[in-house]
Amino acid sequence: MFISKIMTKNAVTIDINADISQAREIMSENKFRHLPVVDESNFLIGIVTDRDIRSVSPSSHISGDMGMETLKRFSGIKIKDIMIKNPVALSPLDTLQDALILLQKERFGAFPVIDEQKKLIGIVSVRDILREFINVLGLEEPGTLLCIIAENKLGQMKKIVDAITEEHVSFGSVLVARYWEKGKRAIFPYLLTQNIAPLKRKLKNMGYTILDPMDWYMDHLPQND
Amino acid sequence: MKKTGFLYDERYLRHDTSPNHPESPERLKAIYQGIKDADLLPKLTLIQARRAELKWIETVHSKNYIKRFEAACHSGDSTFDYPDNQICAETFETALLAVGGILDAVRLVMTGKLDNVFCAVRPPGHHAEYEGALGFCYFNNIAIAARYLQIEWGIQRVGIVDFDVHHGNGTQHIFEEDPTVFYYSIHQHPTFAFPGTGRVFETGNGEGIGTTRNYPVLPGQGDKEYQGLVERDLVPVLSAFSPEVILVSAGFDAHVDDDMSDIHLSTQGYSRLMQRIVALAALYSDGRLISVLEGGYCIERLPELAANHVEILLNA
Repeated sequence: MFISKIMTKNAVTIDINADISQAREIMSENKFRHLPVVDESNFLIGIVTDRDIRSVSPSSHISGDMGMETLKRFSGIKIKDIMIKNPVALSPLDTLQDALILLQKERFGAFPVIDEQKKLIGIVSVRDILREFINVLGLEEPGTLLCIIAENKLGQMKKIVDAITEEHVSFGSVLVARYWEKGKRAIFPYLLTQNIAPLKRKLKNMGYTILDPMDWYMDHLPQND
Repeated sequence: MKKTGFLYDERYLRHDTSPNHPESPERLKAIYQGIKDADLLPKLTLIQARRAELKWIETVHSKNYIKRFEAACHSGDSTFDYPDNQICAETFETALLAVGGILDAVRLVMTGKLDNVFCAVRPPGHHAEYEGALGFCYFNNIAIAARYLQIEWGIQRVGIVDFDVHHGNGTQHIFEEDPTVFYYSIHQHPTFAFPGTGRVFETGNGEGIGTTRNYPVLPGQGDKEYQGLVERDLVPVLSAFSPEVILVSAGFDAHVDDDMSDIHLSTQGYSRLMQRIVALAALYSDGRLISVLEGGYCIERLPELAANHVEILLNA
Protein backbone atom coordinates (compact mmCIF):
# COMPACT_ATOMS: atom_id res chain seq x y z
CA MET A 1 0.00 0.00 0.00
CA PHE A 2 1.46 3.33 -1.07
CA ILE A 3 1.88 6.34 1.17
CA SER A 4 -0.06 8.44 -1.36
CA LYS A 5 -3.18 6.44 -0.41
CA ILE A 6 -2.74 6.89 3.34
CA MET A 7 -1.40 10.41 3.73
CA THR A 8 -3.36 13.51 4.60
CA LYS A 9 -3.29 15.72 1.52
CA ASN A 10 -3.27 19.53 1.77
CA ALA A 11 -1.36 19.41 5.03
CA VAL A 12 -1.51 22.57 7.11
CA THR A 13 1.91 24.23 7.06
CA ILE A 14 3.71 27.13 8.67
CA ASP A 15 6.06 29.80 7.39
CA ILE A 16 9.69 29.75 8.48
CA ASN A 17 9.48 33.31 9.81
CA ALA A 18 6.28 32.83 11.78
CA ASP A 19 6.25 33.18 15.57
CA ILE A 20 6.05 29.94 17.48
CA SER A 21 2.91 31.17 19.23
CA GLN A 22 1.23 30.97 15.82
CA ALA A 23 2.33 27.35 15.45
CA ARG A 24 1.05 26.59 18.91
CA GLU A 25 -2.35 28.00 18.04
CA ILE A 26 -2.64 26.04 14.79
CA MET A 27 -1.70 22.83 16.58
CA SER A 28 -4.13 23.20 19.44
CA GLU A 29 -6.96 24.23 17.08
CA ASN A 30 -6.45 21.26 14.78
CA LYS A 31 -5.14 18.78 17.34
CA PHE A 32 -1.94 18.20 15.32
CA ARG A 33 1.45 17.61 16.80
CA HIS A 34 3.51 18.19 13.66
CA LEU A 35 3.64 21.14 11.29
CA PRO A 36 5.73 21.00 8.12
CA VAL A 37 7.66 24.21 7.45
CA VAL A 38 7.68 25.33 3.81
CA ASP A 39 8.94 28.31 1.84
CA GLU A 40 6.82 30.45 -0.48
CA SER A 41 7.11 27.84 -3.29
CA ASN A 42 5.97 25.03 -0.97
CA PHE A 43 9.41 23.44 -0.75
CA LEU A 44 9.84 21.50 2.47
CA ILE A 45 12.50 23.02 4.68
CA GLY A 46 11.70 21.66 8.08
CA ILE A 47 9.17 20.35 10.56
CA VAL A 48 8.15 21.68 13.93
CA THR A 49 6.64 19.51 16.66
CA ASP A 50 4.59 20.37 19.71
CA ARG A 51 7.38 18.99 21.81
CA ASP A 52 9.89 21.48 20.38
CA ILE A 53 7.49 24.32 21.09
CA ARG A 54 6.80 23.15 24.61
CA SER A 55 10.49 22.88 25.43
CA VAL A 56 10.97 26.61 24.75
CA SER A 57 7.60 27.70 26.20
CA PRO A 58 7.52 29.49 29.54
CA SER A 59 6.25 27.46 32.42
CA SER A 60 2.67 28.24 33.36
CA HIS A 61 3.85 28.36 36.98
CA ILE A 62 5.83 31.57 36.44
CA SER A 63 3.74 34.65 37.26
CA GLY A 64 4.05 38.38 37.82
CA ASP A 65 6.82 40.50 36.25
CA MET A 66 9.00 37.51 35.78
CA GLY A 67 6.18 35.87 33.84
CA MET A 68 5.70 38.87 31.56
CA GLU A 69 9.42 38.98 30.91
CA THR A 70 9.58 35.30 29.99
CA LEU A 71 6.50 35.60 27.82
CA LYS A 72 8.05 38.49 25.90
CA ARG A 73 11.19 36.50 25.29
CA PHE A 74 9.09 33.50 24.20
CA SER A 75 7.04 35.47 21.69
CA GLY A 76 10.24 36.56 19.94
CA ILE A 77 11.19 32.99 19.06
CA LYS A 78 10.67 32.13 15.40
CA ILE A 79 9.88 28.82 13.77
CA LYS A 80 13.30 28.79 12.10
CA ASP A 81 14.92 28.82 15.57
CA ILE A 82 13.38 25.58 16.74
CA MET A 83 12.40 23.60 13.62
CA ILE A 84 14.06 20.36 12.67
CA LYS A 85 15.87 21.06 9.41
CA ASN A 86 15.81 18.56 6.57
CA PRO A 87 13.44 16.18 8.32
CA VAL A 88 13.08 12.57 7.28
CA ALA A 89 10.45 12.61 4.55
CA LEU A 90 8.61 10.00 2.54
CA SER A 91 7.78 9.90 -1.13
CA PRO A 92 4.26 9.09 -2.34
CA LEU A 93 5.59 5.84 -3.76
CA ASP A 94 7.06 4.69 -0.47
CA THR A 95 4.90 2.05 1.16
CA LEU A 96 3.08 1.47 4.43
CA GLN A 97 5.82 -1.02 5.31
CA ASP A 98 8.53 1.60 4.67
CA ALA A 99 6.74 4.00 6.99
CA LEU A 100 6.40 1.36 9.71
CA ILE A 101 10.08 0.50 9.72
CA LEU A 102 11.03 4.16 9.60
CA LEU A 103 8.72 5.01 12.48
CA GLN A 104 10.43 2.49 14.67
CA LYS A 105 13.91 3.49 13.52
CA GLU A 106 13.60 7.27 13.67
CA ARG A 107 11.17 7.62 16.56
CA PHE A 108 9.18 10.36 14.87
CA GLY A 109 5.41 10.59 15.14
CA ALA A 110 4.84 11.86 11.59
CA PHE A 111 6.59 12.20 8.25
CA PRO A 112 6.10 14.88 5.62
CA VAL A 113 5.53 13.51 2.13
CA ILE A 114 7.36 15.25 -0.73
CA ASP A 115 7.44 14.89 -4.50
CA GLU A 116 10.58 14.62 -6.66
CA GLN A 117 11.17 18.39 -6.49
CA LYS A 118 10.94 18.23 -2.67
CA LYS A 119 7.63 20.08 -2.71
CA LEU A 120 5.33 19.14 0.14
CA ILE A 121 2.31 17.08 -0.93
CA GLY A 122 1.08 15.63 2.35
CA ILE A 123 1.82 14.26 5.80
CA VAL A 124 1.58 10.79 7.32
CA SER A 125 1.20 10.34 11.06
CA VAL A 126 1.24 7.35 13.37
CA ARG A 127 -2.52 7.72 13.60
CA ASP A 128 -2.91 7.35 9.82
CA ILE A 129 -0.87 4.15 9.94
CA LEU A 130 -2.76 2.74 12.93
CA ARG A 131 -6.05 3.43 11.15
CA GLU A 132 -4.87 1.27 8.26
CA PHE A 133 -4.01 -1.54 10.65
CA ILE A 134 -7.39 -1.44 12.36
CA ASN A 135 -8.84 -1.74 8.88
CA VAL A 136 -6.49 -4.56 7.82
CA LEU A 137 -7.19 -6.55 10.99
CA GLY A 138 -10.92 -6.20 10.32
CA LEU A 139 -11.50 -4.93 13.88
CA GLU A 140 -14.61 -3.03 12.87
CA GLU A 141 -16.36 -6.08 11.47
CA PRO A 142 -18.09 -8.49 13.84
CA GLY A 143 -16.20 -11.73 14.20
CA THR A 144 -14.26 -14.17 16.37
CA LEU A 145 -10.49 -14.64 16.62
CA LEU A 146 -9.03 -18.14 16.93
CA CYS A 147 -5.49 -19.34 17.50
CA ILE A 148 -4.50 -22.59 15.82
CA ILE A 149 -1.12 -24.22 16.36
CA ALA A 150 0.03 -25.99 13.20
CA GLU A 151 3.19 -27.71 12.09
CA ASN A 152 5.50 -25.48 10.11
CA LYS A 153 5.24 -27.39 6.85
CA LEU A 154 3.78 -26.76 3.46
CA GLY A 155 0.03 -27.21 3.06
CA GLN A 156 -1.11 -26.65 6.66
CA MET A 157 -2.74 -23.33 5.88
CA LYS A 158 -4.63 -24.85 2.96
CA LYS A 159 -6.10 -27.56 5.19
CA ILE A 160 -7.19 -25.00 7.76
CA VAL A 161 -8.68 -22.66 5.16
CA ASP A 162 -10.51 -25.59 3.54
CA ALA A 163 -11.93 -26.74 6.88
CA ILE A 164 -13.19 -23.25 7.69
CA THR A 165 -14.61 -22.75 4.20
CA GLU A 166 -16.49 -26.07 4.42
CA GLU A 167 -18.31 -24.61 7.43
CA HIS A 168 -19.39 -21.64 5.26
CA VAL A 169 -17.41 -19.21 7.37
CA SER A 170 -15.74 -16.15 5.81
CA PHE A 171 -12.38 -14.73 6.79
CA GLY A 172 -11.94 -11.21 8.14
CA SER A 173 -8.15 -11.51 8.28
CA VAL A 174 -5.40 -14.02 9.02
CA LEU A 175 -2.26 -13.37 11.06
CA VAL A 176 0.59 -15.83 11.28
CA ALA A 177 3.07 -15.89 14.14
CA ARG A 178 6.02 -17.45 12.35
CA TYR A 179 8.00 -18.63 15.34
CA TRP A 180 6.08 -20.47 17.98
CA GLU A 181 8.04 -23.41 19.18
CA LYS A 182 10.37 -25.58 17.18
CA GLY A 183 8.63 -26.67 14.00
CA LYS A 184 5.34 -24.97 14.91
CA ARG A 185 3.61 -21.77 13.95
CA ALA A 186 0.53 -20.08 15.34
CA ILE A 187 -2.23 -19.07 12.94
CA PHE A 188 -4.79 -16.47 14.00
CA PRO A 189 -7.79 -16.42 11.66
CA TYR A 190 -10.34 -13.68 12.38
CA LEU A 191 -13.61 -15.28 11.34
CA LEU A 192 -16.82 -13.47 10.52
CA THR A 193 -19.05 -15.70 12.61
CA GLN A 194 -20.44 -16.23 16.06
CA ASN A 195 -20.84 -19.95 15.47
CA ILE A 196 -17.33 -20.93 16.45
CA ALA A 197 -17.91 -24.11 18.49
CA PRO A 198 -18.41 -26.62 15.63
CA LEU A 199 -15.37 -25.21 13.87
CA LYS A 200 -13.19 -25.61 16.95
CA ARG A 201 -14.35 -29.23 17.29
CA LYS A 202 -13.61 -29.90 13.64
CA LEU A 203 -10.09 -28.46 13.80
CA LYS A 204 -9.35 -30.41 16.98
CA ASN A 205 -10.50 -33.60 15.28
CA MET A 206 -8.09 -32.83 12.45
CA GLY A 207 -5.27 -32.88 15.00
CA TYR A 208 -4.74 -29.13 15.44
CA THR A 209 -4.33 -27.50 18.82
CA ILE A 210 -6.69 -24.62 19.54
CA LEU A 211 -4.69 -22.48 21.89
CA ASP A 212 -6.24 -21.14 25.09
CA PRO A 213 -6.56 -17.36 24.58
CA MET A 214 -4.71 -16.71 27.83
CA ASP A 215 -1.63 -18.27 26.22
CA TRP A 216 -1.72 -16.22 23.01
CA TYR A 217 1.43 -14.55 21.79
CA MET A 218 2.06 -12.72 18.56
CA ASP A 219 5.47 -14.27 18.33
CA HIS A 220 7.94 -16.14 20.48
CA LEU A 221 10.95 -14.32 19.08
CA PRO A 222 13.33 -13.09 21.78
CA GLN A 223 12.49 -9.50 22.69
CA ASN A 224 14.97 -6.76 21.75
CA ASP A 225 14.70 -4.95 25.03
CA MET B 1 -44.15 -15.80 46.39
CA LYS B 2 -44.10 -13.38 43.47
CA LYS B 3 -46.51 -13.35 40.56
CA THR B 4 -44.11 -14.55 37.89
CA GLY B 5 -44.97 -14.89 34.23
CA PHE B 6 -43.47 -17.35 31.79
CA LEU B 7 -43.67 -16.49 28.11
CA TYR B 8 -43.45 -19.65 26.05
CA ASP B 9 -45.16 -20.74 22.87
CA GLU B 10 -44.60 -23.68 20.57
CA ARG B 11 -44.76 -21.27 17.66
CA TYR B 12 -41.29 -20.11 18.75
CA LEU B 13 -40.03 -23.50 17.55
CA ARG B 14 -41.01 -22.70 13.97
CA HIS B 15 -37.92 -20.59 13.32
CA ASP B 16 -35.96 -23.42 11.68
CA THR B 17 -32.22 -22.77 11.56
CA SER B 18 -31.39 -26.08 9.78
CA PRO B 19 -29.70 -29.05 11.46
CA ASN B 20 -26.54 -28.54 13.51
CA HIS B 21 -27.16 -24.84 14.04
CA PRO B 22 -26.54 -23.95 17.69
CA GLU B 23 -29.52 -21.57 17.89
CA SER B 24 -31.97 -24.45 17.59
CA PRO B 25 -35.58 -25.09 18.65
CA GLU B 26 -34.11 -27.74 20.99
CA ARG B 27 -32.91 -24.90 23.22
CA LEU B 28 -36.46 -23.80 23.99
CA LYS B 29 -37.67 -27.36 24.42
CA ALA B 30 -34.88 -27.94 26.96
CA ILE B 31 -35.81 -24.74 28.82
CA TYR B 32 -39.51 -25.67 28.93
CA GLN B 33 -38.73 -29.21 30.04
CA GLY B 34 -36.40 -27.98 32.78
CA ILE B 35 -39.06 -25.67 34.20
CA LYS B 36 -41.69 -28.41 33.92
CA ASP B 37 -39.50 -31.06 35.56
CA ALA B 38 -38.78 -28.72 38.46
CA ASP B 39 -42.58 -28.56 39.06
CA LEU B 40 -42.56 -24.83 38.54
CA LEU B 41 -45.22 -24.61 35.82
CA PRO B 42 -48.19 -24.58 38.24
CA LYS B 43 -46.65 -21.59 40.04
CA LEU B 44 -46.23 -19.56 36.87
CA THR B 45 -48.62 -17.53 34.75
CA LEU B 46 -48.19 -18.77 31.22
CA ILE B 47 -48.11 -16.03 28.61
CA GLN B 48 -48.69 -16.87 24.97
CA ALA B 49 -47.08 -15.33 21.96
CA ARG B 50 -48.86 -12.61 20.08
CA ARG B 51 -47.94 -10.80 16.93
CA ALA B 52 -46.26 -7.42 17.51
CA GLU B 53 -47.57 -4.40 15.66
CA LEU B 54 -45.01 -3.14 13.17
CA LYS B 55 -45.09 0.32 14.76
CA TRP B 56 -43.19 -1.11 17.74
CA ILE B 57 -40.57 -2.81 15.59
CA GLU B 58 -40.13 0.55 13.83
CA THR B 59 -39.13 2.20 17.11
CA VAL B 60 -35.81 0.34 16.78
CA HIS B 61 -35.39 -0.82 13.15
CA SER B 62 -35.71 1.01 9.84
CA LYS B 63 -38.76 0.30 7.70
CA ASN B 64 -36.44 -0.68 4.92
CA TYR B 65 -34.70 -3.27 7.10
CA ILE B 66 -38.00 -4.76 8.22
CA LYS B 67 -39.12 -5.08 4.58
CA ARG B 68 -35.82 -6.57 3.56
CA PHE B 69 -36.03 -9.16 6.36
CA GLU B 70 -39.60 -10.09 5.50
CA ALA B 71 -38.75 -10.42 1.81
CA ALA B 72 -35.74 -12.63 2.53
CA CYS B 73 -37.84 -15.02 4.63
CA HIS B 74 -40.52 -15.29 1.96
CA SER B 75 -38.04 -15.62 -0.90
CA GLY B 76 -36.78 -19.02 0.21
CA ASP B 77 -33.31 -17.72 1.10
CA SER B 78 -31.66 -19.76 3.84
CA THR B 79 -29.52 -16.96 5.29
CA PHE B 80 -29.94 -13.24 5.91
CA ASP B 81 -27.14 -10.63 6.02
CA TYR B 82 -24.55 -13.14 7.34
CA PRO B 83 -24.17 -16.91 6.80
CA ASP B 84 -24.66 -17.30 10.59
CA ASN B 85 -28.21 -16.04 10.33
CA GLN B 86 -30.18 -19.04 9.15
CA ILE B 87 -33.76 -18.26 8.20
CA CYS B 88 -36.81 -20.09 6.92
CA ALA B 89 -40.22 -19.00 5.62
CA GLU B 90 -41.50 -18.76 9.23
CA THR B 91 -38.64 -16.69 10.66
CA PHE B 92 -40.18 -13.26 10.10
CA GLU B 93 -43.47 -14.29 11.68
CA THR B 94 -41.69 -15.98 14.61
CA ALA B 95 -39.62 -12.87 15.23
CA LEU B 96 -42.83 -10.78 15.32
CA LEU B 97 -44.34 -13.28 17.77
CA ALA B 98 -41.28 -12.99 20.01
CA VAL B 99 -41.53 -9.21 20.20
CA GLY B 100 -45.32 -9.28 20.65
CA GLY B 101 -45.07 -11.77 23.50
CA ILE B 102 -42.42 -9.68 25.25
CA LEU B 103 -44.46 -6.47 24.91
CA ASP B 104 -47.42 -8.29 26.41
CA ALA B 105 -45.21 -9.43 29.28
CA VAL B 106 -44.13 -5.82 29.83
CA ARG B 107 -47.80 -4.72 29.80
CA LEU B 108 -48.72 -7.33 32.41
CA VAL B 109 -45.91 -6.14 34.67
CA MET B 110 -46.73 -2.45 34.17
CA THR B 111 -50.41 -3.01 34.98
CA GLY B 112 -49.43 -4.86 38.14
CA LYS B 113 -50.91 -8.17 37.06
CA LEU B 114 -47.44 -9.70 37.30
CA ASP B 115 -44.28 -8.83 39.23
CA ASN B 116 -41.76 -10.24 36.82
CA VAL B 117 -41.51 -12.46 33.74
CA PHE B 118 -39.10 -14.80 32.01
CA CYS B 119 -39.56 -14.66 28.23
CA ALA B 120 -38.29 -17.86 26.59
CA VAL B 121 -38.34 -16.61 23.01
CA ARG B 122 -36.60 -17.29 19.73
CA PRO B 123 -35.00 -15.78 17.77
CA PRO B 124 -32.78 -13.87 20.20
CA GLY B 125 -32.24 -10.13 19.74
CA HIS B 126 -29.32 -8.28 21.32
CA HIS B 127 -26.99 -8.37 18.28
CA ALA B 128 -29.62 -6.96 15.90
CA GLU B 129 -28.82 -3.42 14.78
CA TYR B 130 -31.08 -0.63 13.50
CA GLU B 131 -30.28 -1.69 9.97
CA GLY B 132 -28.93 -5.24 10.13
CA ALA B 133 -29.22 -8.79 11.43
CA LEU B 134 -26.26 -10.31 13.24
CA GLY B 135 -25.34 -13.26 15.43
CA PHE B 136 -28.64 -15.17 15.01
CA CYS B 137 -30.63 -12.00 15.89
CA TYR B 138 -33.18 -10.20 13.66
CA PHE B 139 -35.31 -7.90 15.83
CA ASN B 140 -33.73 -6.44 18.94
CA ASN B 141 -36.33 -7.73 21.41
CA ILE B 142 -34.95 -6.06 24.51
CA ALA B 143 -34.45 -2.71 22.78
CA ILE B 144 -38.04 -2.72 21.51
CA ALA B 145 -39.22 -3.56 25.04
CA ALA B 146 -37.28 -0.56 26.36
CA ARG B 147 -38.78 1.76 23.73
CA TYR B 148 -42.26 0.41 24.54
CA LEU B 149 -41.66 1.19 28.22
CA GLN B 150 -40.64 4.73 27.33
CA ILE B 151 -43.39 5.48 24.82
CA GLU B 152 -46.39 3.55 26.11
CA TRP B 153 -45.68 3.67 29.85
CA GLY B 154 -43.72 6.91 30.22
CA ILE B 155 -40.81 5.24 31.95
CA GLN B 156 -37.91 7.69 32.38
CA ARG B 157 -35.13 5.30 33.39
CA VAL B 158 -34.82 1.80 31.96
CA GLY B 159 -31.97 -0.42 33.16
CA ILE B 160 -30.82 -3.19 30.85
CA VAL B 161 -28.50 -5.85 32.25
CA ASP B 162 -27.03 -8.12 29.57
CA PHE B 163 -25.17 -11.17 30.88
CA ASP B 164 -25.03 -13.08 27.62
CA VAL B 165 -21.39 -14.08 27.08
CA HIS B 166 -21.35 -12.03 23.86
CA HIS B 167 -21.59 -8.26 23.86
CA GLY B 168 -25.01 -6.89 22.86
CA ASN B 169 -23.70 -4.56 20.16
CA GLY B 170 -27.18 -3.85 18.83
CA THR B 171 -28.63 -2.81 22.17
CA GLN B 172 -25.60 -0.66 22.94
CA HIS B 173 -25.70 1.13 19.61
CA ILE B 174 -29.44 1.76 19.78
CA PHE B 175 -29.20 3.45 23.19
CA GLU B 176 -25.67 4.84 23.27
CA GLU B 177 -26.91 8.43 22.93
CA ASP B 178 -29.92 7.94 25.20
CA PRO B 179 -29.27 8.88 28.83
CA THR B 180 -32.61 7.40 29.92
CA VAL B 181 -31.61 3.81 29.12
CA PHE B 182 -28.67 2.33 31.00
CA TYR B 183 -27.05 -0.54 29.13
CA TYR B 184 -24.81 -2.68 31.36
CA SER B 185 -23.11 -5.66 29.75
CA ILE B 186 -20.89 -8.39 31.16
CA HIS B 187 -19.30 -10.50 28.43
CA GLN B 188 -16.19 -12.31 27.30
CA HIS B 189 -13.50 -9.80 26.30
CA PRO B 190 -14.12 -8.68 22.69
CA THR B 191 -10.61 -9.61 21.55
CA PHE B 192 -11.49 -13.23 22.31
CA ALA B 193 -15.18 -13.36 21.44
CA PHE B 194 -17.83 -12.37 18.94
CA PRO B 195 -18.75 -9.72 17.89
CA GLY B 196 -15.62 -7.74 18.87
CA THR B 197 -17.33 -4.79 20.56
CA GLY B 198 -17.99 -3.94 24.20
CA ARG B 199 -14.61 -2.64 25.25
CA VAL B 200 -14.24 -0.85 28.59
CA PHE B 201 -13.84 2.53 26.92
CA GLU B 202 -17.18 2.27 25.09
CA THR B 203 -19.23 4.31 27.54
CA GLY B 204 -21.86 5.97 25.35
CA ASN B 205 -21.95 8.98 23.05
CA GLY B 206 -23.22 12.54 23.24
CA GLU B 207 -25.90 12.91 25.88
CA GLY B 208 -25.63 9.20 26.60
CA ILE B 209 -22.06 9.31 27.88
CA GLY B 210 -22.03 7.40 31.14
CA THR B 211 -25.14 5.29 30.58
CA THR B 212 -23.37 2.53 28.68
CA ARG B 213 -21.09 0.29 30.68
CA ASN B 214 -19.10 -2.70 29.49
CA TYR B 215 -17.41 -5.17 31.75
CA PRO B 216 -15.31 -7.62 29.70
CA VAL B 217 -14.35 -10.89 31.39
CA LEU B 218 -11.22 -12.80 30.36
CA PRO B 219 -11.17 -16.37 29.04
CA GLY B 220 -11.08 -18.87 31.88
CA GLN B 221 -12.65 -16.51 34.41
CA GLY B 222 -15.85 -17.49 36.16
CA ASP B 223 -17.76 -17.37 39.45
CA LYS B 224 -15.17 -15.52 41.51
CA GLU B 225 -14.66 -12.74 38.97
CA TYR B 226 -18.39 -12.39 38.28
CA GLN B 227 -19.16 -12.13 41.97
CA GLY B 228 -16.44 -9.52 42.40
CA LEU B 229 -17.56 -7.36 39.51
CA VAL B 230 -21.20 -7.56 40.55
CA GLU B 231 -20.47 -6.29 44.06
CA ARG B 232 -17.80 -3.80 43.06
CA ASP B 233 -19.39 -2.41 39.91
CA LEU B 234 -22.81 -3.61 38.77
CA VAL B 235 -24.60 -2.99 42.07
CA PRO B 236 -23.23 0.52 42.76
CA VAL B 237 -23.54 1.61 39.13
CA LEU B 238 -27.15 0.50 38.72
CA SER B 239 -28.04 1.78 42.18
CA ALA B 240 -26.80 5.21 41.18
CA PHE B 241 -28.94 5.09 38.02
CA SER B 242 -31.96 3.80 39.96
CA PRO B 243 -33.92 2.22 37.06
CA GLU B 244 -37.72 2.24 37.22
CA VAL B 245 -37.82 -1.10 35.40
CA ILE B 246 -35.05 -3.65 34.85
CA LEU B 247 -34.78 -5.61 31.62
CA VAL B 248 -32.44 -8.59 31.51
CA SER B 249 -30.80 -9.94 28.36
CA ALA B 250 -30.46 -13.47 29.72
CA GLY B 251 -27.83 -15.42 27.84
CA PHE B 252 -26.74 -18.70 29.38
CA ASP B 253 -23.69 -19.19 27.18
CA ALA B 254 -21.16 -18.10 29.80
CA HIS B 255 -21.71 -21.48 31.46
CA VAL B 256 -18.54 -23.56 31.75
CA ASP B 257 -20.13 -26.39 29.75
CA ASP B 258 -21.23 -24.13 26.88
CA ASP B 259 -18.62 -24.40 24.14
CA MET B 260 -19.59 -21.10 22.50
CA SER B 261 -17.33 -19.29 24.96
CA ASP B 262 -14.28 -19.69 27.18
CA ILE B 263 -16.01 -18.35 30.31
CA HIS B 264 -16.35 -20.70 33.26
CA LEU B 265 -19.48 -19.56 35.06
CA SER B 266 -21.13 -22.39 37.01
CA THR B 267 -24.83 -23.07 37.44
CA GLN B 268 -24.55 -21.65 40.98
CA GLY B 269 -22.63 -18.67 39.63
CA TYR B 270 -25.54 -17.92 37.30
CA SER B 271 -27.97 -18.14 40.20
CA ARG B 272 -25.95 -15.76 42.36
CA LEU B 273 -25.75 -13.26 39.51
CA MET B 274 -29.50 -13.36 38.90
CA GLN B 275 -30.24 -13.06 42.65
CA ARG B 276 -28.27 -9.81 42.78
CA ILE B 277 -30.10 -8.39 39.76
CA VAL B 278 -33.46 -9.36 41.23
CA ALA B 279 -32.44 -7.71 44.53
CA LEU B 280 -31.65 -4.50 42.62
CA ALA B 281 -35.10 -4.63 41.02
CA ALA B 282 -36.66 -5.00 44.46
CA LEU B 283 -34.74 -1.98 45.76
CA TYR B 284 -35.18 0.44 42.87
CA SER B 285 -37.79 -0.85 40.44
CA ASP B 286 -40.61 -1.99 42.68
CA GLY B 287 -39.60 -5.52 41.69
CA ARG B 288 -40.46 -4.89 38.04
CA LEU B 289 -38.17 -7.08 35.95
CA ILE B 290 -38.59 -8.64 32.52
CA SER B 291 -35.98 -11.19 31.54
CA VAL B 292 -35.61 -12.10 27.88
CA LEU B 293 -33.70 -15.09 26.57
CA GLU B 294 -30.68 -14.36 24.37
CA GLY B 295 -28.04 -17.08 23.85
CA GLY B 296 -27.20 -20.29 25.70
CA TYR B 297 -26.49 -23.35 23.63
CA CYS B 298 -25.65 -26.21 26.00
CA ILE B 299 -28.78 -28.36 25.75
CA GLU B 300 -27.69 -30.40 28.79
CA ARG B 301 -27.40 -27.36 31.07
CA LEU B 302 -30.27 -25.17 29.84
CA PRO B 303 -32.97 -27.05 31.82
CA GLU B 304 -31.36 -26.43 35.22
CA LEU B 305 -30.26 -22.89 34.30
CA ALA B 306 -33.79 -21.93 33.22
CA ALA B 307 -35.44 -23.61 36.22
CA ASN B 308 -33.13 -21.80 38.64
CA HIS B 309 -33.69 -18.52 36.80
CA VAL B 310 -37.46 -18.81 37.12
CA GLU B 311 -37.27 -19.97 40.73
CA ILE B 312 -35.25 -16.87 41.61
CA LEU B 313 -37.96 -14.71 40.00
CA LEU B 314 -40.66 -16.55 42.00
CA ASN B 315 -38.77 -16.06 45.27
CA ALA B 316 -37.78 -12.47 44.55
